[in-house]
Amino acid sequence: MTPLLETRNLVKDFTIGGEILHAVNGVSLTINNGEFVAIMGTSGSGKSTFMNMIGCLDVPTSGTLMLDGVDTKSLSNDELAAIRNQKIGFVFQQFNLLARTSALDNVAVPLIYAGVPRAERLRLAEEKLIKMGLGDRLFNSPAKLSGGQQQRVAIARALVTNPLMLLADEPTGALDTQTSLDIMSVFQSLNDQGITVILVTHEPDIAEYAARRVLFRDGKVIDDAPVKNRKRLAVHG
Amino acid sequence: MASFRHNIASWGVNIAIAFTALGTNLMRSILTTLGVMIGVFSVILAVAIGAGAQVSVTDSISALGSNMAIIVPEPDSEGPRRQTDRGRLTERDIRAIEKQVTGITGAASQLRTSVQMVAGGRNATTLASGVTPAYAVVSNLNVDDGRFINDGDVNSGARVMLIGQTVATKLFGDFDPVGETVRVNNVPFTVIGLLESKGSSFGNDNDDTILIPLKTMRQRLIENAQSGPDDIHLAFIGFDDEEALTNGQKEIKALLRDRYRIPKGKISPFTVRTTTEIAEVTGQVTGIFQAVLVAIASISLLVGGIGIMNIMLVSVTERTREIGLRMALGAKRSDIRNQFLVEAAVLCIIGGGIGLLLAKGAALAFEAYADFPAPISLPVAIGAIIFSALIGLAFGGYPAVRASRLSPIEALRSE
Repeated sequence: MTPLLETRNLVKDFTIGGEILHAVNGVSLTINNGEFVAIMGTSGSGKSTFMNMIGCLDVPTSGTLMLDGVDTKSLSNDELAAIRNQKIGFVFQQFNLLARTSALDNVAVPLIYAGVPRAERLRLAEEKLIKMGLGDRLFNSPAKLSGGQQQRVAIARALVTNPLMLLADEPTGALDTQTSLDIMSVFQSLNDQGITVILVTHEPDIAEYAARRVLFRDGKVIDDAPVKNRKRLAVHG
Repeated sequence: MASFRHNIASWGVNIAIAFTALGTNLMRSILTTLGVMIGVFSVILAVAIGAGAQVSVTDSISALGSNMAIIVPEPDSEGPRRQTDRGRLTERDIRAIEKQVTGITGAASQLRTSVQMVAGGRNATTLASGVTPAYAVVSNLNVDDGRFINDGDVNSGARVMLIGQTVATKLFGDFDPVGETVRVNNVPFTVIGLLESKGSSFGNDNDDTILIPLKTMRQRLIENAQSGPDDIHLAFIGFDDEEALTNGQKEIKALLRDRYRIPKGKISPFTVRTTTEIAEVTGQVTGIFQAVLVAIASISLLVGGIGIMNIMLVSVTERTREIGLRMALGAKRSDIRNQFLVEAAVLCIIGGGIGLLLAKGAALAFEAYADFPAPISLPVAIGAIIFSALIGLAFGGYPAVRASRLSPIEALRSE
């Protein structure tokens, strides 16, 4: 079976003040369909840069990135946009919802770029929001939602195009402990339904809810193993 | 096909996004729109006033009478002119023209002088013309009420007058002036007719006039005749058609030069102009006037466009994170570009639309209060809206392309 994601010797260099910084320095990693992977590391370990590359937001300096069997090196800007739209669902630390825009319209945004007609967009967005337990918050703007609710809206948005994987960058970084657990239970529940989840975090506690832990340091993978004594949360809804 | 549907869908979405974004910074949007609004307003008004000037010129010339030559006793300015050159024109010259030049419908000698009028305690001043019956024929004059001056009036030096609408209103209000007495420079005259209105030409009110017999004016109203007893101030010669007019102008010049024995190479003591020449010259002048007006007005539109570009650049910078997010969610470069183009175009179309309405209002006010036509034709109105949209696309183009070229990750990381 083709792996969902495969990197070979992936490198990303940044030039800062005339010096070359190897943010990601030769990472080879394979992630299969249905996995729940936590990418761990301290600030500056290269985990976020790696995440941006597998999310097709940034291009590698060298190495190979195969997504769903496609080498991303040969893809145009528009094709990369289509991959972000169709195959990847992003969840961000700061939620990144559009202000003064209802939850429903926020969730529908990716469908605009997929060319889905308006009525269908709203129907699909509503379906995902109900699934996230926000059926009674469809027309609330982000300002009228709690942090946890905002992150659930963001997850609904990430799921609305039925992507191959969710990429979550510090999804609990802006949330309190209880709400963080709540969001992790959402991820576990989605993973149980077969959705691949890749999350980046610097919190060891959060990584314990994943099934596999990849540890970054100085741009390299220094450890890659299943999580022992994985924590399970009560499954919601 | 899919791409086509995608485009249709995203245009609608882009318009919705544009309204949301513009509404978010309502004050800023209004101020930016103001620039385009004023620009479109001034360009349209300039076009309307220019068009109005053309209409007014055409009307003015037809009010003067068509296919007409006008002779004035002024040295012809087409040659070198000296201080000592004096103009000359007499009634006998005009009679000679009437006899010898072909294709003439009438030849009307005229004297003019400013007069003071008093009637029933009201007074007014106007420019009085001393005329002959031929004047009615040559310059298409009609009498609303009463009769025109006839040969008997002229020969006898009768103290009768025709009164223009404006003067009639000043002196008599709504009363019928025909049969009433008006003291003109203290000489009593009887009003024998009310002239039909001729509107205004070149800002002059054609109805602010009185007509009296030529001989009467010479005897009663022209004080110390420095000039000869036969001199006139101007003459109108009517012709059958334009061809007769063109030939007639040459014939008149030749005849008068011969009568005054002007040697070849010396300038004539008179000038002969035709309505065709006047129409051409004024047409050119109003054309230049319109072009200058539109050019000046265009500068304000240009400034408005720069305002749009400026605010769109600010908008792109402010919304860099939103752009990054949209790219992460699958927006292509063209999607981002179109979003900002539509926003700029919407801003300009709203501004252009309001500017158009304001220009229409100003044009109506012009017509009502300044008695000056300022027509805004449908093509001009539609053109203005399309042009506004094009301004949006032109000046919004650079900011939009700049937005679309942002790197997704850098945009997303920006604060």
